[in-house]
Amino acid sequence: MNIGVFVCHCGSNIAGTVDTEQVAQAARSFPEVAFATDTMYACSEPGQAGIIDAIREYGLDGVVVASCTPRMHEATFRKTIGRAGLNTYLFEMANIREHVSWIGKDKEANTNKAIDLVQIAVEKLRRNTALFSSEFEINKRVMVIGGGVAGIQAALDCADGGLEVVLVERESTIGGKMAKLDKTFPTVDCSSCILGPRMVDIAQHPNITLHAMAEVESVDGFVGNFDVKVRKKATYVDWEACTGCGQCMEKCPSRKAEDRFNEHVGTTTAINIPFPQAIPKKAVIDPGACIMLTKGKCGACAKLCPTQAIRFEQEDTVVQEQVGAIIAATGYDLFDFTLYGEYGGGRYPDVVTSMQYERMLSASGPTGGHLVRPSDGKEPKDIVFIQCVGSRDHSVNRPYCSGFCCMYTAKQTILTKDHIPDSQSYVFYMDIRSPGKLYDEFTRRAMEEYGAKYIRGRVSTIQPRNGRYVVKGADTLMGSPVEIEADLVVLAVGAEASRGAGALAEKLRISYDGYGFFMEGHPKLKPVETNTAGVYLAGSCQGPKDIPSSVAQGSAAASKVQALFSRDKLASDPQVSSVALQRCVGCAKCASTCPFGAIEMTEFRGMPKASVVETVCQGCGVCAVTCPQGAIQLQHFTDNQILAEVNALCPY
Amino acid sequence: MAHTQELRTLIARELPNLDLVLAWTGGFDPLSSTPLFITTEADLDRLAVGPMHVQNLAAYLPSLKGRKVGIVTRGCDSRTITELLQENLINRDEVVIFGIGCTGAVNIRKVRTAVNGAPVTDVEIGDDVLTVTTGEETHALRLQDVLMDKCYTCAGQAPRMHDHMVSERSGCLATGETPPSSLDLLEGMDARERFAFWEGHMDRCIRCYACRNACPLCVCKDSCVAQSRDPHWVDQSDTPREKLMFQAIHALHTAGRCTECGECERACPMGIPILAMKQALNRRIKHLFDYEAGMDQESTPPLFMFRQQEETIKERDAR
Amino acid sequence: MPVLEGKELRIVGFLCNWCSYGGADTAGVGRFAQPTDLRIIKLPCTGRVNPLFVVRAFLNGADGVLVSGCHPGDCHYTAGNFYARRRLEILRELLDVMGIQQERFHYTWVSASEGQKWKQVVSDFTARIHDLGPAAAFSGCPAVPIDMDETGIKAAG
Repeated sequence: MNIGVFVCHCGSNIAGTVDTEQVAQAARSFPEVAFATDTMYACSEPGQAGIIDAIREYGLDGVVVASCTPRMHEATFRKTIGRAGLNTYLFEMANIREHVSWIGKDKEANTNKAIDLVQIAVEKLRRNTALFSSEFEINKRVMVIGGGVAGIQAALDCADGGLEVVLVERESTIGGKMAKLDKTFPTVDCSSCILGPRMVDIAQHPNITLHAMAEVESVDGFVGNFDVKVRKKATYVDWEACTGCGQCMEKCPSRKAEDRFNEHVGTTTAINIPFPQAIPKKAVIDPGACIMLTKGKCGACAKLCPTQAIRFEQEDTVVQEQVGAIIAATGYDLFDFTLYGEYGGGRYPDVVTSMQYERMLSASGPTGGHLVRPSDGKEPKDIVFIQCVGSRDHSVNRPYCSGFCCMYTAKQTILTKDHIPDSQSYVFYMDIRSPGKLYDEFTRRAMEEYGAKYIRGRVSTIQPRNGRYVVKGADTLMGSPVEIEADLVVLAVGAEASRGAGALAEKLRISYDGYGFFMEGHPKLKPVETNTAGVYLAGSCQGPKDIPSSVAQGSAAASKVQALFSRDKLASDPQVSSVALQRCVGCAKCASTCPFGAIEMTEFRGMPKASVVETVCQGCGVCAVTCPQGAIQLQHFTDNQILAEVNALCPY
Repeated sequence: MAHTQELRTLIARELPNLDLVLAWTGGFDPLSSTPLFITTEADLDRLAVGPMHVQNLAAYLPSLKGRKVGIVTRGCDSRTITELLQENLINRDEVVIFGIGCTGAVNIRKVRTAVNGAPVTDVEIGDDVLTVTTGEETHALRLQDVLMDKCYTCAGQAPRMHDHMVSERSGCLATGETPPSSLDLLEGMDARERFAFWEGHMDRCIRCYACRNACPLCVCKDSCVAQSRDPHWVDQSDTPREKLMFQAIHALHTAGRCTECGECERACPMGIPILAMKQALNRRIKHLFDYEAGMDQESTPPLFMFRQQEETIKERDAR
Repeated sequence: MPVLEGKELRIVGFLCNWCSYGGADTAGVGRFAQPTDLRIIKLPCTGRVNPLFVVRAFLNGADGVLVSGCHPGDCHYTAGNFYARRRLEILRELLDVMGIQQERFHYTWVSASEGQKWKQVVSDFTARIHDLGPAAAFSGCPAVPIDMDETGIKAAG
């Protein structure tokens, strides 16, 4: 190999504390180095031209640039040598800025260290091989997991862009959390009035296939060619036949089914359509509550159904969908406030969650839009709202801010005043977090126009007294204890990762944080990407978000999919593992440890051998360490390359 | 002896269904033994079992995969079979296990050292005494003192699984206080002493790879990294450094897999106590992951799996 | 280049590309001054760290080896650091069995945003290695191995 070494001054960024000329001088003594020089700005136009000229003049077939971090300019220089006709993988960088010149003042030590880093780059480069991407076809269908507002937006944007969309929803209807809301902040728009039409669009869009009552069972394959198994849970109703007329619900004798849509404010019928605007508007039987399915007799709904759609014998089915990209939009769940003993731990009937309150405010909710106390059905007058229940609290392992609770509480105080003009709302808060267009103005309105009393401080206890509740807390601005007698207490419960989020992340092979929220590709620059190619995120599955942010992410994820699908073929990263067939003994240890299922066992002349599916392999190298005979090697990070670096640094 | 006869009868009954049966027979002198590959009933006459018959026959199983093989097995060797099954290196339905109760395995090297290397003409095994005759002289050795190191940490004399079991004889001959093993010596040293200990032993290593060749879990066969250039883990210089590197490779490749059968040490012509390295590592793996190799066919060796929360692993400070 | 006599010791770092290498970059961007001993080898993931690289480094005369990757759960490849954690724990034990001081080896988790933590890790670990001093090298004149008589074989009776 004829190696060229270019040592960058980066102005004075490097040259200030590293003798770059001496580094270039030392580099000339390294094996196979045919040319070495220092250069003012290697990444600049003339800097790059200098590299290309040297490649031509000295017949270089490998290049080391000693400059900044490869995370900054590796791609730049790869393109540079590519322009000069070299394979872009015959290139290495030595990071002598972030790792040397910027962190040490001792010029002698820095120069010595820079020389070491150039040497290991040279030693690695000597063992680099030209790598070539391969191309493969893309299946231009997209799956959206989760039919909340983020998923709806993503699905519609993709479908409108001409893509076939498969939308998978766990519940019997799409709509997610937004469908449960009465109004939205800061405009006090009717939530179902703005969401409803979008839900209908989903149902009617020719490009969208909706699987409701369905969950992702497994995900195989890779970007461009995912193979997803979707389990469609038994609904005990033939949805082809069901017209959603609702007659079955009227006659169902079992009224003990849990009412998830109404946040367990009361119960519902065993056969049920959660709400009038449900999409799809189809009935579902709760097998745990249905008398026919538990005791074997009843069948009232079956007798009544005008289209004979009831199927008590129905079982789960699994459908297979082939897609090229996946958008996860699985949303969030609410924090379980019963962990707080001081708020009654769920024992006080008139201590409700904000979402339950939202259902009570809703005209289509369990109370028909009348604000009443669950305990006695009376209209509450004094209502206390408690902020940060399961947010910003280390004691319950929820140190993060859920972001939207301050705003929905302000909205709820306004709606409360609208419903009961002579009511008084009190809000215990830690800080009011209201960044966003018209958000802070909105909270001011709640206080100033609607008279909500905001008290800065936490509530220490809620005690029932004479049918009411004594809420004791501290006003930290006044520095005095506060006691308020309330008819109803509303807990602003925070958001937490959707139940099952971790399991889904494992199936999608994406990372998730300690709370179960999915990890974006980069916190600043890749907010809707993941580190698994072809898998995108939208909405609160990545972290708590309000409606506009969720919608924005839905659109963003859709645009990422559109960009991905704008090509007909994808190039695979060639830095993947490969198997030396003659060394492989077929023990399959690599296959068992691969985090991506990228290794298949095949047969070669009757012998079992490992084989890497290059498009699935992400290049982590776990297999290369597992293989005792070193038969499977990660291209560009082979044992010999790393050993050469170690040997260069530690020459006995 | 009666139990040998019983074993012969058992094998003879199964032999028509098997390609071969792995067992032992006597070696070149009364102290030595050698593996016996039984294919006909006539071979059965040469079969012998006892404390002097020490090879781990399970080491042959992976290379016989695809054939129907019977194997005579003691407790410790059965752990090798379990481990091989765990790693899909053999198929259970291709192996017929003839279990025997082990009474302890004699460390031939220790005996030869005790008789100063004199040619052995006769060996007699008593209840807890080994009587070795070298020409005119007889040496009565306490059995307990001349067993293999692995016997002192024996996890059970009977095989953990078997298809047939020879009924008679069990209970280790070794009783009473055990002599200090290499493991005890090693564990009693500080880092500097250990490094010197290994340097000293590695200096004697002749790099014959007998340890590796005898190891039943070295599945790399002809692809061992010790002799390859790609990858090039060890160079060919005859230094303790490279030889210790090889032992580290072997120890890490068998980490969480090694069942401490001791074949590596038994095979070593230089008498290097290489089993102690694995025993010491195994003790720590047991402590870390509560795992012992070859005990449970359904479990996964600790390096081929992980837990998201590792209860026994604590984060450490760089200070 | 050899280490600077009297000033530096030989410390090798194996860092994952996604988190810790980025964390070291972040420390650089923040101009967080660090000792100069450490030389970093970039790998895609700690899952690529063969414990034998570390053994090789020590047998070749490294005075300290540092491995750093993404925090558990944050691995770019979802599980690489989970495997690494087990391998490196076992490596720690093997080093001890081999007579290489465990303190000379350290592994930790530093994210791309934790520049300050990286500086601390490098400073602390370098200080620790300097406290330990240069690692024991092969003496070149090996001690006489254990005599068989010491294994305690006695005549019966």
